[in-house]
Amino acid sequence: MFRLHDVSYAYGGSRTAQAALSHISLDVPQGEFRWLLGPSGAGKSSLLSILALEAQASAGMVEILGVPVMQARRGALARLRRRIGAVYQDFRLLPDLNVFDNVALPLRLQHRAEAEISHEVHAIMKWVGLETRLDALPPQLSGGEQQRVAIARAVIYRPALLVADEPTNALDDRQAARLLAMFHRLAELGTTIVVATHNDSIVRKYPAPAIELAHGHLVRDYR
Amino acid sequence: MARQRYHDGLALHQALPGRFLPFLVGAMTFLAALALAGGIAAHALSQRWTHGAGAVTTVQVPNPDDPAAANAGGASPAATRIHAVQDILATTPAITAAHRLTDAELRALLAPWIEQTGDGSLPLPAVIEVHIAPTRNPDNALLARLQASAPGTMVEHDSVWSDRLAALAGSLQACALLAVLIVMTVAVCVVMAATRAGLQTRRQAIALIHSLGATDGYISGRFSSRVGLLALGGGLCGGVLALPMLLAMSHLAAPFTATTDTLPTMGMEWRNPRMLLDLLPHALLWMLLALPPAAGLTGWITTQLTVRAWLRRLP
Ligand SMILES: Nc1ncnc2c1ncn2[C@@H]1O[C@H](COP(=O)(O)OP(=O)(O)OP(=O)(O)O)[C@@H](O)[C@H]1O
Ligand SMILES: [Mg+2]
Repeated sequence: MFRLHDVSYAYGGSRTAQAALSHISLDVPQGEFRWLLGPSGAGKSSLLSILALEAQASAGMVEILGVPVMQARRGALARLRRRIGAVYQDFRLLPDLNVFDNVALPLRLQHRAEAEISHEVHAIMKWVGLETRLDALPPQLSGGEQQRVAIARAVIYRPALLVADEPTNALDDRQAARLLAMFHRLAELGTTIVVATHNDSIVRKYPAPAIELAHGHLVRDYR
Repeated sequence: MARQRYHDGLALHQALPGRFLPFLVGAMTFLAALALAGGIAAHALSQRWTHGAGAVTTVQVPNPDDPAAANAGGASPAATRIHAVQDILATTPAITAAHRLTDAELRALLAPWIEQTGDGSLPLPAVIEVHIAPTRNPDNALLARLQASAPGTMVEHDSVWSDRLAALAGSLQACALLAVLIVMTVAVCVVMAATRAGLQTRRQAIALIHSLGATDGYISGRFSSRVGLLALGGGLCGGVLALPMLLAMSHLAAPFTATTDTLPTMGMEWRNPRMLLDLLPHALLWMLLALPPAAGLTGWITTQLTVRAWLRRLP
């Protein structure tokens, strides 16, 4: 669940810079799935980075999972980040950790027991079809394989909010279908999910409410 | 647990290599140990020369064998002036030792003048060498009391040299303190630079684990415990390497700093570690022991502050 009220965002915090987002207001309840649509440069990644607490809005009110982000202390934000999963457009895998350790990273930071971590990682990697590549380093994987590792890392700790930036752009149709099926299942289990894409065919195949941006403005908020 | 720490993506063994930092911290500790030793040696020398065995006060009593003056405050039971003076000196708490020079010692001391006058029967004053407890100065009241019993008594404190020595020792100690401060400042700068370089090389990983919910405390704790350990190791090496040098220096300085006049036996027992350590002033020994933990703590605190300041750039 998250709420934005009159949120604006400019890179570098400068007021003269052209705003990447202007006056966005949104309210998405717990367990809902939303597409985030818009042409390249519309501000989709910027909006997701605010939801993933990667960037601080320049103005407005942001409330994520019940926490008022603008007033929260750093420690509270760190705890909140452990309940948010993010699949970045550029994957952000650590090149010197193998696939297993990359996927295990969020659980290790939560000090889970090693046996439990191993069990969870094997289960999720089997699901994304990479259970044989656990010892590979990310640079040794194809783009689609890296994307699946990034998705596995984002969902392994069952976040309450999941934001995914073009999570299907390196996947084939069959894998994209599996992924979206999993997202819908996660939403049913209570995870709020926002998926940015400019792939219209996939949106037509999996109709769902959508948020549409253009030039940093909210143009439509379907329900 | 070990696996968790070493697979959290920080790769601190690459970010903070284990040679550069301990080497530099070790060198700094070595320098700090030498500076501290210099400061403590200067202090010990000045103590000895201004108050201790090196500083002798002489009391001259003319006509020592004349009857003591009758107007001495309390009825003095002593018959002669020299006895009266010796009684007073013996009961003054600040005075640790008083030794009347024998005739032979006195004549040896005065030989050049006696030979010039050629008069062996010249009446000589009695001379008493007095040692005064450190940090306590004989006051003028003592002189007045002495003169009341034995008119003409003079007290001479060789203060020109001791004052100069005290000033010299004071400035040497100030230099040593300054050197320690500079060494610490340089060490802090080195740790800061190394930490910043480490943060820079792992900035992607840090940004990622930050976005996965790692707290500032976790990240700074990981960096500072590694730097703290490296600095502690470097400090231990530096301290251990400084020890033989300080022992050799203390051995050379022993005759000048000894609080008694007995020279240490030259046949040193190099194989007896207890005796060796006894050579070092206790203050220096404690400081030497404190240096490695101080280096580790300095490294830890500096890294904590550096990393936390750096993490502020992340949202
Ligand atoms: N790091 C940055 N510094 C400055 N401006 C940026 C930065 N990142 C994005 N922008 C600008 O902000 C605006 C929104 O960018 P954003 O990445 O949010 O678009 P997007 O909708 O995700 O596009 P795409 O579909 O191509 O990923 C664009 O005008 C872009 O040029
Ligand atoms: Mg984008």
